[in-house]
Amino acid sequence: MMDSNDTPVDVRLSLRVNGQMRQLDVPPNVVLLDALRDRLGLTGTKKGCDHGQCGACTVLVNGEAINSCLALAVVHDGDDITTVEGLAGEADLSPLQAAFLEHDAYQCGYCTPGQLMSATELLSNRKVGTTDAEVAEAMSGNICRCGAYKNILSAIQETRQQHAGAAID
Amino acid sequence: MSRSASIIGAAVSRIDGPDKLTGRARYAGDFHPEGMTYAYGVYSTIARGRVVSIDTQAAMRCPGVLDVFHHGNFPSLHRSPASFAEENVVDEKRVPFEDDEVFYAGQFVALVVADSFEHARAAAYQVKVTYDEDTNTVATLAQAMEKRGSTHANDSERGDPEGAYQSAPHQVDATYTTPVETHNPMETHTTVARWIDGKLEVWDSTQGVVFTRNTLSKVFDLDPSRVIVHADFIGSGFGGKLWVWPHCIATAGAARELGRPVQFVLPRQQMFTTSGHRPETSQHVRLAADNDGTLLSIRHENVNSTSHVGTVVEACAGSTEGLYKCDNLRISHATSITDRGTPTAMRAPGAGVGLFALESAMDELAVKLGMDPLELRRKNFTDRDPGADLPYSSNHLLECYDRAAESFGWSRRTPGVGSMRDGDKIIGWGMAACNWDAMRNPCDARVTLHDDGSASVHCASQDIGTGTYTVLAQIASAELDLPLDRIDIKLGDSTFPHGPISGGSWATASLLPAVAEAARAAIDKIKEYAGKAGSPLADADPNDFVYEKGMVKDGHGKAVSIADILKPQQLASATGEAHTGGAPDSGYSFGSFGTHFVEITWEPAIAQLKVTRVVSAIDAGQIINQKSARNQVEGAIVMGMSSALFEATEYDERNARPVNNNYAEYLVPVNADMPQLDVILLDHPDYELNEFGARGIGEIGLTGMQAAVANAVYHATGKRVRDLPVMLDKLMDETE
Repeated sequence: MMDSNDTPVDVRLSLRVNGQMRQLDVPPNVVLLDALRDRLGLTGTKKGCDHGQCGACTVLVNGEAINSCLALAVVHDGDDITTVEGLAGEADLSPLQAAFLEHDAYQCGYCTPGQLMSATELLSNRKVGTTDAEVAEAMSGNICRCGAYKNILSAIQETRQQHAGAAID
Repeated sequence: MSRSASIIGAAVSRIDGPDKLTGRARYAGDFHPEGMTYAYGVYSTIARGRVVSIDTQAAMRCPGVLDVFHHGNFPSLHRSPASFAEENVVDEKRVPFEDDEVFYAGQFVALVVADSFEHARAAAYQVKVTYDEDTNTVATLAQAMEKRGSTHANDSERGDPEGAYQSAPHQVDATYTTPVETHNPMETHTTVARWIDGKLEVWDSTQGVVFTRNTLSKVFDLDPSRVIVHADFIGSGFGGKLWVWPHCIATAGAARELGRPVQFVLPRQQMFTTSGHRPETSQHVRLAADNDGTLLSIRHENVNSTSHVGTVVEACAGSTEGLYKCDNLRISHATSITDRGTPTAMRAPGAGVGLFALESAMDELAVKLGMDPLELRRKNFTDRDPGADLPYSSNHLLECYDRAAESFGWSRRTPGVGSMRDGDKIIGWGMAACNWDAMRNPCDARVTLHDDGSASVHCASQDIGTGTYTVLAQIASAELDLPLDRIDIKLGDSTFPHGPISGGSWATASLLPAVAEAARAAIDKIKEYAGKAGSPLADADPNDFVYEKGMVKDGHGKAVSIADILKPQQLASATGEAHTGGAPDSGYSFGSFGTHFVEITWEPAIAQLKVTRVVSAIDAGQIINQKSARNQVEGAIVMGMSSALFEATEYDERNARPVNNNYAEYLVPVNADMPQLDVILLDHPDYELNEFGARGIGEIGLTGMQAAVANAVYHATGKRVRDLPVMLDKLMDETE
């Protein structure tokens, strides 16, 4: 969408972000990650590579984990987005976040929002197996350069065991 | 002293954990000051030559563009001296946009600033740069040594290494090479800069707010008090964020020119060019031993790659002088210039790659001797640092060997190549020693007791993910006899009392004594107030005052709260400050020691190599926090495994451009690559280094890992890989 000077015009879109309806006008080339961080002030979601290679920017879109750096914001008009800021709901920490705290499942914390979002989806995704090897494989789209992988895995597995049968979201 | 000791060494969860888990933790790029603009770089596409012209017309016409900076219009700035003593180290000494010369691919040639990230990026793509390219580039260390030779940096010798080598019954002579590795912390380098009334304020992804402040004050010719640097949270650094790189200066300069705050986030691609890397090394090791394995001669002679705009010496032989007892030794370091960006310290600089060479050579020697590699190391153990000619303050390496070997099951190892199997898989078991200096630096701290019963700690150091916030809270809690949740730790602000950079594994050893002493000074202060006129304890004998759990008691058991002591003095808080020094000059050499035992499996039919099991034992003094310390060592082992198997920044030999400069092609481990990991922390306090007996723990776990993996690979396959990383092609080559 261009104006008469070939300048892109802003597009109005509505997103339900962490349960709240948010309306914003963005140029069509704004990616979802930058819309969240720069335009909605939700800086919990991180930029690690901007190329879908590291997973730091993972958010849930209608319950599915995606790399928000690879998605144009305008494509998600009307979608339901969950970011790390919305993970605990009214609680201080979700069961998964509490397990990450207990298991020291991070160091610098920069990849953590992405790890949490991928793990949140994984725990409710019945297509993903539940063994350590299957969970480790499923979490392999999220790089942790500090190398806290062992603790990330144990935090996820403990969350699964503690909340077996209950919906985790 | 009223220290409650139970919290020291406990497995305390991180106090900053909830912030990191909810997105509240703010990293440099999360600060968006009012009126902030966005910068995007234009980077040289050639490795050597000159910028002939920069056409910014199209870019300047793009929507939202505020300006395009380049060597033709950027303000003239100053270079910073690179001095550790003055705390203003830079490795790339050239200031960005100094002139039209290009020294490496990825060098800043322009910086576009616009009102949004999208506008800045779109406009940056419209900047047209033409170059006068020097096509006779030098891309690799091998090319550099051939075309340009090397420059001697330093050397050290004891005894007669050449003579002892010649007359010895067993010799190893091998050259080991390691590639460029790139730090790649998850957070790319980020700077947000704004100027207010001639003062520069920067939110920066830095491992050293004081060093960054001092460097910027030199570059912009400002009194250091006019520069404020913040780093509340850092998406780690691994050495890459120790010093200021060009983007930080470019961003601060652009913000001054525009009179508006500017945010710059280095794209992942440029993490490989303009913000440092571990240099490439070539290490010539010659060992000689007697029939019983006694080392008779050690030589470790090294060359590493450096750049035109900064000479960085990789101290590969840093651990070689002191790890083994040997009277005849020579080490040396030299550099050779490539047309690449400037290298810098990367986690465990020196020993990180140096022990790959030394500990691989030790394995080769064990094979020649027909000796168990563990026994060879035990045989040559020294509890005295032969390099410094001083006893080690505390060295429990032999216990590390015993406990790790026992846990690993080393006694079941059969020495023959390929002799251990599990179905179609060949199992290899290898081991190596690890070692890192135990350092301590001067540090200031301020501890404040508040009238609400809480306490705060201030220090201009930072937590890069290692757990510094938490270990300081533990120390303050112990000294002040207050619960952890009543302690607030404030780091990452250059206006706080002077603190060291987060590097060298010295943060814990340096900060703890300062915080403890400041806490005791705060307690003394509150006792002093307790004895003053108007205090509920004014009539008591101040010599009887005892501080306990946020209360001061007199000799009769009367206890008064901090609030009730402060109120009559019309004070809100009592403050203690401390300055503590560097490592004591007490006639000891300080080091940490350890060992890795590694199991690999090699499945020749499908050419699959996997590290399946690692057992490491680490002697790093008193462990302050079992949780974060263990995590640190495990993370370092993962990075060491990564260095062994995956990491290498590759350059096109024709034009010196990096070719795998992204997170898909620069390989690092993911969760599925994880071996079974068992870390044993010995926990022997080293009270010679500081009152808590703590040494550093961030780097030692990386050292020696590559050798342990490569030695295991040899045990399985008979292939001695002397060139990292151990890629599959090196195992599939049948001509060897």
